[in-house]
Amino acid sequence: MENIYMPDPMEVVEVKQQTADIKLIRIKFRDPEKNANFKFNIGQFGLYSVFGVGESTFNICCSNSKDYIEFCFRKTGRVTERLWDVEPGDTIGFRGPFGNSYPMKEWEGKNLVFVAGGIAMPPIRCAILYALENRDKYGKITIVYGARTVNDLVCKDELDEWAQYPNVDVLKTVDVAPPEGTPWNGRVDFVPTVLKDSNITGDNAVALVVGPPIMIKLSLPILVEAGFKDEDIFTSLENRMKCGLGKCGRCNCGSVYVCKEGPVFTQADIKNMPNDY
Amino acid sequence: MSHIITLEQLKKTLADKISSGAQVVAPTLRGELAFFQKIDDVNQAVLEPRVRFQNSIKEFFFPRHETIFSFVRQGSDVQLVDAPEFDVEQIVVGARPCDAASLPILDPLFAWDYQDRFFQSRRAKSTVVVFACKTSDAHCFCTAVGGAPDSTNGADAILFALDDGSFEVRCVTDKGKALFSGKTQESDKTGAACAPPSVDFDVEKIATWIRGNFASPVWEEISYRCVGCGACAFVCPTCHCFDIVDEGSYSKGKRVKNWDSCQTVLFTLHASGHNPRATQGARQRQRMMHKFVIYPDKFNAKLCTGCGACSRSCGVSFGVRPALEELAKVANQSENN
Ligand SMILES: Cc1cc2nc3c(=O)[nH]c(=O)nc-3n(C[C@H](O)[C@H](O)[C@H](O)COP(=O)(O)OP(=O)(O)OC[C@H]3O[C@@H](n4cnc5c(N)ncnc54)[C@H](O)[C@@H]3O)c2cc1C
Ligand code: SF4
Ligand code: SF4
Ligand code: FES
Repeated sequence: MENIYMPDPMEVVEVKQQTADIKLIRIKFRDPEKNANFKFNIGQFGLYSVFGVGESTFNICCSNSKDYIEFCFRKTGRVTERLWDVEPGDTIGFRGPFGNSYPMKEWEGKNLVFVAGGIAMPPIRCAILYALENRDKYGKITIVYGARTVNDLVCKDELDEWAQYPNVDVLKTVDVAPPEGTPWNGRVDFVPTVLKDSNITGDNAVALVVGPPIMIKLSLPILVEAGFKDEDIFTSLENRMKCGLGKCGRCNCGSVYVCKEGPVFTQADIKNMPNDY
Repeated sequence: MSHIITLEQLKKTLADKISSGAQVVAPTLRGELAFFQKIDDVNQAVLEPRVRFQNSIKEFFFPRHETIFSFVRQGSDVQLVDAPEFDVEQIVVGARPCDAASLPILDPLFAWDYQDRFFQSRRAKSTVVVFACKTSDAHCFCTAVGGAPDSTNGADAILFALDDGSFEVRCVTDKGKALFSGKTQESDKTGAACAPPSVDFDVEKIATWIRGNFASPVWEEISYRCVGCGACAFVCPTCHCFDIVDEGSYSKGKRVKNWDSCQTVLFTLHASGHNPRATQGARQRQRMMHKFVIYPDKFNAKLCTGCGACSRSCGVSFGVRPALEELAKVANQSENN
């Protein structure tokens, strides 16, 4: 019988440092056949191993049209500390894809609003890249992304590239003004404030909101006021995980196993779940 | 007409299994403490019904520490070696009915979508023989969760101890029949279990209260009786939460599954420092919810056999029965209001 806890060995193809403590890594299956056959849905996550150190959970943050997997992580603990040091050519492990995904098909024909703060770029980046690759299938795209300082913005170059697409608004903001003389073409404000000023409406639109709890808490009323219904506001939860397979008993909110029934939930789902996240 | 096996015949049956290469697990004594343990010699086994054990039979299906694979780094590549599949016959004898009952409860978890071969291969290779209970103690409450001192749930055969040291054998499954075929004599003696333990709380009523009272202060109040050591989970036949960690060095090592407990503060702690279950009350609530609400929702079974091992082992006299009794009080109150 297959061993469901067995990762696949992956080759590190590229490492791009994003901020002082965030890196984006591109990996491929060492087995070419597996690499060719690998499929995932936008919004799913994986478990990434540094052998001898452990496993950590990250979103797959690229679009699913590529023959590689990208993930973006913040250096915070034991596994990520060691992951920070990997270089192209090194081997790490991958298990996945796990969890549910964003209903990209159902979102077709709608306006998309993405709201993210800090390291929470990966769970929206996959959806943004997918939507841009399929630009004609979606309406107006509004991206509100903020970080503490200019140096904490993830995928900074990409933000400007995305803004070049037709009918795409990229609203960048930082909490703290950059030092005099630093080039900065975004705002200095909190994400919810920028969201409020953005003229979005909930008509024929969905919103995907990920980030620190306080940002989510303050953004939700703005979306509701703009006419978004609870069923149209999506988020991705990050309960601590080990197995990703619905076995280890770690990730649940009441009777909902985030690793299997999540990580993507609507605000309507979340209102029905006990506050255990 | 019943079927009887003498103690000598039972020992011989087990001894033959040991010689044939099977792994035999049986009750053993270390001083006054009883353990389920793999035996190499049938004389290590203490073949009589017993209420109090220091462990459950869970660890022979879901070991407390189990290698999932090993690895060796070779330059920039890493070779992964799968753990060997469990491939010997296993006979577990002398389990309590409330031990065996945990196995069918756990089956759907390990087969939910993803198939966990570690549990499943042990399960497929095992024959479980229970001893019907002769006594119960103040911790037992199997009756409250659908069990009984003569329950055959999860058992392949049940043995009733008779006064003369022999056992009445009742086979439940083909595996049970295969183990005892040709080993028993026909007789007119029959055995009986002790009276079911009495309980004065209604688990369904408590579960209903739990569903509506996630934010109740009662959780914090009952948690003052718990020191969060997690011992209750380790002795529990149904608790199955586990951790996955790497052992060894960067160049060579293995990944293992270890038992874990939702009662410790680290269980859900995020790297960011955020902890969804930051208080013992939240953790006690998770334990009771998992057993009496979440697991029934997911797998249509309570995650508790009423064996009482948790409260028997709790260093501060708490555990699931005392918690249920506390919750029964508030559930009754809220019903009367
Ligand atoms: C579905 C999901 C998607 C995620 N996506 C990303 C992402 O794209 N980028 C990113 O930087 N982070 C993401 N996280 C958080 C990330 O998993 C943790 O920050 C990371 O595991 C910390 O690992 P560590 O070993 O360095 O920390 P340690 O503190 O050493 O943690 C030890 C172990 O605890 C677990 N753990 C600790 N914190 C978390 C946490 N917040 N969530 C889950 N498990 C945790 C891990 O299993 C880890 O191996 C995601 C979490 C989830 C559940
Ligand atoms: S109930 Fe008892 S055994 Fe369980 S964690 Fe609390 S103190 Fe430990
Ligand atoms: S919770 Fe306690 S009584 Fe219930 S099965 Fe586990 S150890 Fe036995
Ligand atoms: S991560 Fe193990 S059950 Fe969800």
